[in-house]
Amino acid sequence: MAGFLFALPAIALVVGFIGVPIGQAVYYSFTEWNGLTSTWIGASAWTQAFHNSNLWTALQNNALLLLAVPFALGLPLLIAMLLHQRVVGWKIFRSIYFLPTAISWVVLGLVAERFFAYHGTLNSLIHAVGLSHVSTNMLGYESTALTALGITFVFTMIGTNTMLFLTGLATLDPSLEEAARIDGAGRWRIFRSITLPHLSRFIQLAFVMTVIALFSALFSLIFVMTGGGPGYATTTMEFLIYQTGFDQGAFGTAALYGIILFVLTAIVGVVQLRLIGSEE
Amino acid sequence: MADIDFDGVTKVYGDAHPAVDHLSLHIDDGEFMVLVGPSGCGKTTALRMLAGLEEISSGTLRIGGTVVNNTLPKDRDVAMVFQNYALYPHMSVAQNMGFALKIRGESKREIARKVDDAARILRLTEYLDRRPKALSGGQRQRVAMGRAIVRSPQAFLMDEPLSNLDAKLRVEMRSEIARIQRLLSVATVYVTHDQVEAMTMGDRVAVLRDGQLQQVATPQDIYDRPANEFVAGFMGSPPMNLVPCRLRPGHSRVEVLVADQSFEIPLGYADSHALPEAGADVVLGVRPEDVLIADATGANVLKVRVERVEALGSEALVHLAWGEGGAPVARDARPGSFIAKVGPRVTFSPGDVVSVQVSPEHVHFFDAGSGVSLRAGGR
Amino acid sequence: MTTLATPPHGPEVTPPEAPAGETPASDARRRPARVGRWVLFLVMVLIAIVMLYPFWVMIVTSLKSEAQFLSGGGFSWLSWKNLTATIPVGQEVLSSTIVCTASILIILAVGLPAGFAFAKLRFRASTVVFLIIVSAMMVPLQAILMPEFVNVTRLGLTGGYLGAIVVYAALGTPFSVFLFATYFRGVPDELIEAGIVDGLGYFGALWRLVVPIAIPAIATVTVLQFIQIWDDLLVGLLFIQNTSERPITVGLAVLAAGRTTSIPELMAGSLVSALPAMVVYLVFQRYLVKGLTMGIDR
Ligand SMILES: Nc1ncnc2c1ncn2[C@@H]1O[C@H](COP(=O)(O)OP(=O)(O)OP(=O)(O)O)[C@@H](O)[C@H]1O
Ligand SMILES: [Mg+2]
Repeated sequence: MAGFLFALPAIALVVGFIGVPIGQAVYYSFTEWNGLTSTWIGASAWTQAFHNSNLWTALQNNALLLLAVPFALGLPLLIAMLLHQRVVGWKIFRSIYFLPTAISWVVLGLVAERFFAYHGTLNSLIHAVGLSHVSTNMLGYESTALTALGITFVFTMIGTNTMLFLTGLATLDPSLEEAARIDGAGRWRIFRSITLPHLSRFIQLAFVMTVIALFSALFSLIFVMTGGGPGYATTTMEFLIYQTGFDQGAFGTAALYGIILFVLTAIVGVVQLRLIGSEE
Repeated sequence: MADIDFDGVTKVYGDAHPAVDHLSLHIDDGEFMVLVGPSGCGKTTALRMLAGLEEISSGTLRIGGTVVNNTLPKDRDVAMVFQNYALYPHMSVAQNMGFALKIRGESKREIARKVDDAARILRLTEYLDRRPKALSGGQRQRVAMGRAIVRSPQAFLMDEPLSNLDAKLRVEMRSEIARIQRLLSVATVYVTHDQVEAMTMGDRVAVLRDGQLQQVATPQDIYDRPANEFVAGFMGSPPMNLVPCRLRPGHSRVEVLVADQSFEIPLGYADSHALPEAGADVVLGVRPEDVLIADATGANVLKVRVERVEALGSEALVHLAWGEGGAPVARDARPGSFIAKVGPRVTFSPGDVVSVQVSPEHVHFFDAGSGVSLRAGGR
Repeated sequence: MTTLATPPHGPEVTPPEAPAGETPASDARRRPARVGRWVLFLVMVLIAIVMLYPFWVMIVTSLKSEAQFLSGGGFSWLSWKNLTATIPVGQEVLSSTIVCTASILIILAVGLPAGFAFAKLRFRASTVVFLIIVSAMMVPLQAILMPEFVNVTRLGLTGGYLGAIVVYAALGTPFSVFLFATYFRGVPDELIEAGIVDGLGYFGALWRLVVPIAIPAIATVTVLQFIQIWDDLLVGLLFIQNTSERPITVGLAVLAAGRTTSIPELMAGSLVSALPAMVVYLVFQRYLVKGLTMGIDR
């Protein structure tokens, strides 16, 4: 009984501000709603929504961005392996690599915009290697804006994922590696057969966290870098929800999009719960 | 200070077999009561019910005559020493010891005085400002004791307080705890599964098995007059030899048939037991030190073969097997379960056939079915 | 982080210098190892340059005037001098601080007893309730953004800090409950029982025994939530309507999206906004790592 009372404030907060809105979102997804009054329109709200090309564009953008995930995991894995070699000054390098983790994605978005801009660093680099006739403006074109966003996303995830993998490597018993070397395994063999399997739990966790970030943490980047454009080229689900609700005032449709996003993350969430479950 | 009374106290977890089953046990004021028994027999559960950490399923529990079944732990005024000490890691030794007093709102001066007194008794004075992390196992154990004694509680409850110490410290702390308990004369319930602790520390010992009380008596009584086969086998190291046999009463003596051999006991000794009719099966119990190995081939000896000799320095254990085939016929057929304890300088070697005698005044008989002692007058 | 350090081992140990006249074969075998270490070091320097790039951009750009920025040459303090006129950084940093502090206090006040209850007290259906709360960690705010916004507006909280504080607290609570419960499971039951026998109630046991022991877990939650909330945009943008009570991240984002503010001044503002989170991060690094890998690294 005391236990329930102790947990009650947390339960109330979570139910009131996360649980109840989920139910409301489901309800309002079947209505036309402007925030004040709502009219029930039933299942046709959903059929209409699925005929809206913007939804499909946003879903497609999310799907394309998934292509960034291997890089958002692979590069940190590589960096963690490098740090784990403990060359001179590795602790300083470690702190430097993690430092961007502390910075807001709003700020990182601002910097990325500078990087990709016409007078930005990217073009300076291209010119520096002698391609002076080539100039890019990745954020300005529908064909390249999403790629620029993906690259920025990979950069923002490096710190967190490297940190995870480095922690994983630190828990690896060095004598395993030594035993493998005595058994005649080479570096690549050791990585494949010892290091990678040991890291698998950490890689799974990083994967889930990265995908969830991809679905729900790009808002800041998009907001300052592209505003969803050009056109709808960088509008992802989460940004579509914001635009539909707050730019167009279509609260009902935005709630519906929210449910779709919820289901997408729930799928990833089940994977994550399984992960936690298998630990206990 | 007060006495403690378990009256038919039962604890059932879920709908399983009771962890403590109708336990009735009285602990006098100032008495040192040791609870022993094999792992899982309900010792900890009984103690935790007494502390108020576990609800009582049925029965009545009294401290100082007051029923405490529904009293909160803090109102029972008992102190507990945990197996892993449970010292508060973020407090100094002095703060650990004074914590209960502080909660009760005693003045700083009073707390300091009591902590100092306790620290002196426990020889902890120079460690008062240290954190538990910076103490040795024995010192931590003493702090746990100190936390209990500063409160001058109605009772001390201790759950295997020495089991985390190494052998030497354990011997030292054994007498230390007994000394302090006598000094303070507070009713104490001490849980252990170490029979040396049970034998040496307690005024009385209560033996539990499967949640049921087997026997309560002074340590010597438990040893000399075990109430049943279980107690006989549990207390003593190595345990009592238990051998199934058949009785054949003669005129002035009882003839005991063991496997294909026999020996006789003068009736005068057998009188102490209420023995059943001739021809009945019983279990004979003999402590290893009451088995005498003789070279004699005279009457009243059993011929056995030496299987193995364990020299322990001050004494030796001789593992014996019956008969020509050498097959041990001791009750549970464990090899080496018939053991003689003899002086250290033995000259036997495995394979020798020797004669053993049992001293008739020290034999025990148990019912072959129930295992209850047949000693006249019961427990 | 230092707790993670283990002594160097394996192939990293540089072999001793080969004595002169060593056979060419063994020399050839060793040279790649030494060269390899230099290559490794250079690669790490290169990565460091990439990771420090944002700071370089912010510092260099903020040290130009608008004109210098457009033309590319020269440095001046002008943007820093004009900063407060363009962006009310003082007010915004204060707002960020207020929102962060209040949210974290609520998260701790709610998460500590709940974590204690789930780990040590248990009650009917507590496992199910715990799993539900933990799965709430996965719910992105965007998925429930519309009802949440309307509810909080109806409660009249979207004017000033209150709405954002409540929403941040609700979003941070599941993680803190999970982390505290995991941490408290490692605290022996006997410790709390000892306190109860000593005369504490459950609340006393929580406040006087559990909380002092949980300082590392509290630090982890505080640091992670601080960085999260300080860096967040969406909640501050929507749930704090008064422009005078805007947190710094929101202020920057709104100006940036407007595309009329001088970029050097924006960069100066960005640096100011990044500084507190970076300091917290550098000081409390190890708690951050612990929190990220809680429940997986043992
Ligand atoms: N919380 C519980 N829930 C269910 N069963 C329990 C619980 N605690 C103890 N038991 C069961 O009750 C019985 C008695 O346990 P108890 O801890 O009292 O044994 P013990 O005599 O102290 O053993 P040990 O010497 O190993 O400490 C055991 O069978 C145990 O499995
Ligand atoms: Mg026990």
